[in-house]
Amino acid sequence: MAQPTLDCRGLRKVFGDLVAVDDVGFHIDAGETYGLLGPNGAGKTTSISMISGLLKRDGGSITVDGEEMTTINLAAKALIGLVPQDIAVYPDLTARENLVFFGKLYGMSGKALQSRVDEVLEIIGLADRAGDRSDDFSGGMKRRLNIGIGLLHKPNLLILDEPTVGVDPQSRNAILESVEQLSSAGMAVLYTTHYMEEAERLCDRVGIIDHGVIKAEGTRRELVQMVGEHDRIRLETTSGGLQSAVAALSELPSVVEAGAGDGLIELLVTEAGEHLTKILSIVTEAGVAVAGVDIDEPNLESVFLHLTGRALRD
Amino acid sequence: MKSLTIAATNLRRFIRDRGNIFFVFIFPMLLVLVLGASFGGDFNARLAVVTEPGGDLADDLVTRLEAIETVNVVSVATEEAAVRGVERGELEAALFIPADYDESITAGTPVNVQFLSRSGQEGNSLRSNIESAITQQAVVLRAARFSESEGLATFTEALAVAGQAEANIGPVNVEVTALGEAFSLDLLGQFDSSAQTQLLLFVFLTSLAGSAALIQTRRLGVAKRMIATPTSVRDVLLGEGFGRFLVALVQGLFIMIGTWLIFGVDWGDPLLATLILLLFSLVGSGAAMLMGSLFSNDEQAGGMGVLFGLGLAALGGCMVPLQVFELISPGLYNVAHITPHAWGLEAFDSIVLSNGTIGDIAVFLAILAGYALVFYALAIWRLRVVLTR
Ligand SMILES: Nc1ncnc2c1ncn2[C@@H]1O[C@H](COP(=O)(O)OP(=O)(O)O)[C@@H](O)[C@H]1O
Ligand SMILES: [Mg+2]
Repeated sequence: MAQPTLDCRGLRKVFGDLVAVDDVGFHIDAGETYGLLGPNGAGKTTSISMISGLLKRDGGSITVDGEEMTTINLAAKALIGLVPQDIAVYPDLTARENLVFFGKLYGMSGKALQSRVDEVLEIIGLADRAGDRSDDFSGGMKRRLNIGIGLLHKPNLLILDEPTVGVDPQSRNAILESVEQLSSAGMAVLYTTHYMEEAERLCDRVGIIDHGVIKAEGTRRELVQMVGEHDRIRLETTSGGLQSAVAALSELPSVVEAGAGDGLIELLVTEAGEHLTKILSIVTEAGVAVAGVDIDEPNLESVFLHLTGRALRD
Repeated sequence: MKSLTIAATNLRRFIRDRGNIFFVFIFPMLLVLVLGASFGGDFNARLAVVTEPGGDLADDLVTRLEAIETVNVVSVATEEAAVRGVERGELEAALFIPADYDESITAGTPVNVQFLSRSGQEGNSLRSNIESAITQQAVVLRAARFSESEGLATFTEALAVAGQAEANIGPVNVEVTALGEAFSLDLLGQFDSSAQTQLLLFVFLTSLAGSAALIQTRRLGVAKRMIATPTSVRDVLLGEGFGRFLVALVQGLFIMIGTWLIFGVDWGDPLLATLILLLFSLVGSGAAMLMGSLFSNDEQAGGMGVLFGLGLAALGGCMVPLQVFELISPGLYNVAHITPHAWGLEAFDSIVLSNGTIGDIAVFLAILAGYALVFYALAIWRLRVVLTR
């Protein structure tokens, strides 16, 4: 079997008393998109920083195409395109100037650089705004420029850290589409998100990470099977007091898991149809106003709930 | 190579900011004017003359003084104002002509004019200017007296009358008062500091402001992103530093050439002066990079920059000459040499005052290079720590 593009094992990072990343390991093959799905503070960015050689690790090993990654191994860094979570571009330079600058740092030059910059501007949909300063851009356009910089040198491994945060739906869709295209062109992609939908749509395999630990890993199918033959109920609410409602619901024998966050109550239930009335009355008694009900098959959100007892969005 | 890319981008961003045009060209231009006016070659000594109105001979003396090209006669209302002006260094000297000047001279009695200056070269040369003006006046008076005694044809008679005339003109004594000790005055007025000290102070101070650029690059996340590319921390720092080094060098050259062309300020051998400036700019940019790696808040760094910039300059002899330190305490003189400024000044003193050669200043240049090296090395080490922890 060919070696994976990224192979990391036993990654560990400690900040003072906090173990931010603990024994994280996975591999990504060429053409594969791997998702790290977890809430804020789960350790996604810390893991990615170690993988891209920005952060010293306290344990574990990382190889990119067989090259060991360290903070000073430039050959390994040359194989990676990193799209950091926070937009990292010069606001007073134009889109093109930003791309050319980073292109040169990736070792490109001359005509090859110029034509690649044009290509990338097309990919990120900024060709007609190439000469504008990036601080004149909308949030979505800045995000796309941020991504474009990571694509310039056609890396073997593209790492995207929550690239769609704070982006309008149209830009988000454009971003997801380009990731799909890059992956089908053979790039290995590491994609972190706390949006279940993105992980489901993009990723061939997903690692569910919480408190620095990968709780489970597999394809969507494999992960959802872990949850068993349950239904997922999602209640949209318009008032507070969700935690007491969740506590009351957890008492019901039919409720396997219950969690709340972001104005939503997420339940994993046996025989949703039979118990829905009971569930609604308990929620109402707890003083929570329900604005909508959604019953569905389990998804990655349910898996997270099942694994951690908490909702993914908090 | 990567460093040059980073330096070029640093400069491009620097130039794009309109405020920096002021910083690089207009501000040094102001400094050129200030330095030129203070240290330029065709500079006239300002002499205050205090006199009572109405005396023909006193007025005649003032006119004679005004005719001297290197003297700028300033009329000052009161004696006190004149003394204060000299104390503050606004005037080089003051001359007090008493109210009975005309009367005494005509009557043939001795009269005192008082001359007040700060001790030093300028005071002395002004004093001899004044004395020669008085002598000229006396000669004319004698001639006038001589022709007054009309109808004398023989040489002996003429000679006798001339002697008589001489006796009839009261002698003028110039009574000289020097103000205080030389070095205490240097402490007061800043007129004895040189254009070189001002240049070093300025270049270092404005270099330190460059730390803000590095901090901004860090805060934007761009510094981190740069080291996610195959670019070493060293190249990032050298690139950022090189951009600031060029800014400092251009500013310094602008000031040197400007003051030299317009005001004839003496910088010594131009190549050696440029070399000193170049190394000192390296030191300044190195210090800026170190500060930019130590602080993560550019306002904080800005404040510390002004503090360090002025503090090191003061300690290093840019405000009070090193010679004064030497007079006050040898210990202080030694401490001053902790600063790069002191070594820069030693180098400048050598080439400006004693026609020093490259051999004479090699040690100073090497020490400055050492400072630059240490600052850059510490900055690289520190930046690596803050970017990868
Ligand atoms: N430089 C740091 N110093 C101390 N704690 C940190 C640092 N970076 C991250 N953390 C902590 O480590 C945990 C994981 O953070 P992070 O990797 O950013 O999570 P995520 O990207 O999944 O939101 C969080 O609790 C965060 O507060
Ligand atoms: Mg993160």
